[in-house]
Amino acid sequence: MAAPEVHHLFHNPIADHSFSADHSTLAIARDTTVELYGRAGSAFKLQDELKGHDKTVTSIDIAPNSGRIVSCSQDRNALVWEPTPQGYKPTLVLLRINRAATFVRWSPSETKFAVGSGDRLIAVCYFEPENDWWVSKHLKKPIRSTVTTLAWHPNSVLLAAGSTDAHARVFSSFIKGVDPRPDPTAWGERLPFNTVCGEYMNNSAGWVHSVAFSPSGDALAFAAHDSSITVVYPSAPDQPPRAVVSVNTQLLPFMSLIWNGEAEIIAAGYDCEAFRFRGSVDGWELSSAVAAKGREGHGDQREESALNMFKQMDLKGKVKDDTQLKTVHQNTVTMIRPYEHSNGVVRKFSSSGVDGRIVIWTV
Amino acid sequence: MSIIREHTQTTLSDAWRTIDIDALDPDSAPNFDTSTLHPPQPEITEAEVRQLTTQVRQLLRGGDAEGALRGCLDMPVYNGSDGVKEMAMGLVVEVLQSIKASEMVPVLRGVGEGVGGGERVDVLMKYLYKGMAAASSSSGASSAPRTPTRVTPQQTGFSQMGPRPGASAESTGAAMSVLLSWHEKAVEVAGLGCIGRVMTDWRKV
Repeated sequence: MAAPEVHHLFHNPIADHSFSADHSTLAIARDTTVELYGRAGSAFKLQDELKGHDKTVTSIDIAPNSGRIVSCSQDRNALVWEPTPQGYKPTLVLLRINRAATFVRWSPSETKFAVGSGDRLIAVCYFEPENDWWVSKHLKKPIRSTVTTLAWHPNSVLLAAGSTDAHARVFSSFIKGVDPRPDPTAWGERLPFNTVCGEYMNNSAGWVHSVAFSPSGDALAFAAHDSSITVVYPSAPDQPPRAVVSVNTQLLPFMSLIWNGEAEIIAAGYDCEAFRFRGSVDGWELSSAVAAKGREGHGDQREESALNMFKQMDLKGKVKDDTQLKTVHQNTVTMIRPYEHSNGVVRKFSSSGVDGRIVIWTV
Repeated sequence: MSIIREHTQTTLSDAWRTIDIDALDPDSAPNFDTSTLHPPQPEITEAEVRQLTTQVRQLLRGGDAEGALRGCLDMPVYNGSDGVKEMAMGLVVEVLQSIKASEMVPVLRGVGEGVGGGERVDVLMKYLYKGMAAASSSSGASSAPRTPTRVTPQQTGFSQMGPRPGASAESTGAAMSVLLSWHEKAVEVAGLGCIGRVMTDWRKV
């Protein structure tokens, strides 16, 4: 396995990151700004700062085809940044929410995006050309608490949401005139806006950190704060699911998960490294960590001289510096995303963390 | 701009920021019963706990500590009156005290095996945290007539921090040391995820 590509950008937490489709641009949510990094040789260099929010930016997403960037923030606004020859032009989106916006993602069709919020609702936004305006419609019932995470089904109509009321839900976000009529799936056949196609929780009811549809869209996985991941296989519309498989782990909770094919899930979180889960409808289990641990002094080369040794003994009363974790990330991993993938199989994925690092991993 | 200039000093104050708007919203969290979000747990009555107690004591007399612990943890009292919960807690502590320090890890591993094994260790962890909470609250009010869980000292390898005034403080200290050493072993067997689940779980023992 190739060594991971580590980019230590700064010493601030990274709330969310997103690569453009050609991997030349990397967008980072840092404090109240969106920072755009460009690839310069083997490193990433700061190219542009998008300033438009006046509170912490919580989430960010680059549409792979159009190159539009959408960002959302605790100031309750979402901005769509349109690439123009003069730079990025922001458009304010009226979300009509009175709590922080927490999470944003483009639909695969790129005609809509969904914003989760602390206002116990999801704003589904689409462009209205007559008014030259992004309009939002609210998915409200039956969410009882902050929406922490969202994921789109490949058909761009179904939307999965995880919330602090410990439920992962699947909604229809069908908008007449924007979406073509979707084919019936195991989740539902007729799908008017705000149809609740499924509501799931695990036994200990931890709040949900991350949700993801499998590449085919026929299974849903979610990670919750009880250190578990749960995979749901629906059977037919309005029927109880075929299987709900929960895996409780001995690890700390996972903040983010992605599917790699239909039989593997990669999840990372408070343990500062990524883990693989393997399984099927018959059962899932934790298989291994993605990267082998224990390469000392990874990333930073430490001086191994007698002078340094005595200096350490003098300053800290010990020879070995044990302030470094043995993982590549030195703090919680906040988000993992597919980096290179085809037909649902991930070859590389990227992770961002509270330590200000972006790491690109080979699976 | 003119509108802003017309504002008086009082309307520009920050007083409106302190208004609790959630109290006015019928759908907000404070106005909503969160217990309806979870499926209800079956209620466990005093008779059931009594029956369990006799079974568990029988197993203990027969020397099957692992089976006794397993029996306690298979029937956690998530829904029951305070008295029933205290009875179940007392029973768990009784079983834990009867197991020698050297047998802790093998017993835990045995309990953690099989169907629902992970769940059993999680339940044990919930009892340990409840026990520690009860022990510390009763030491705070040493004159309180009711001590929730009576625990007698036991050799666990934990050294006491020297003599302390008051017999009740000493006994709660001993109780704590039993629970703490079990806690240590449970983390060893079931990892940190187990502690996270105790704090996250809505089902309280």
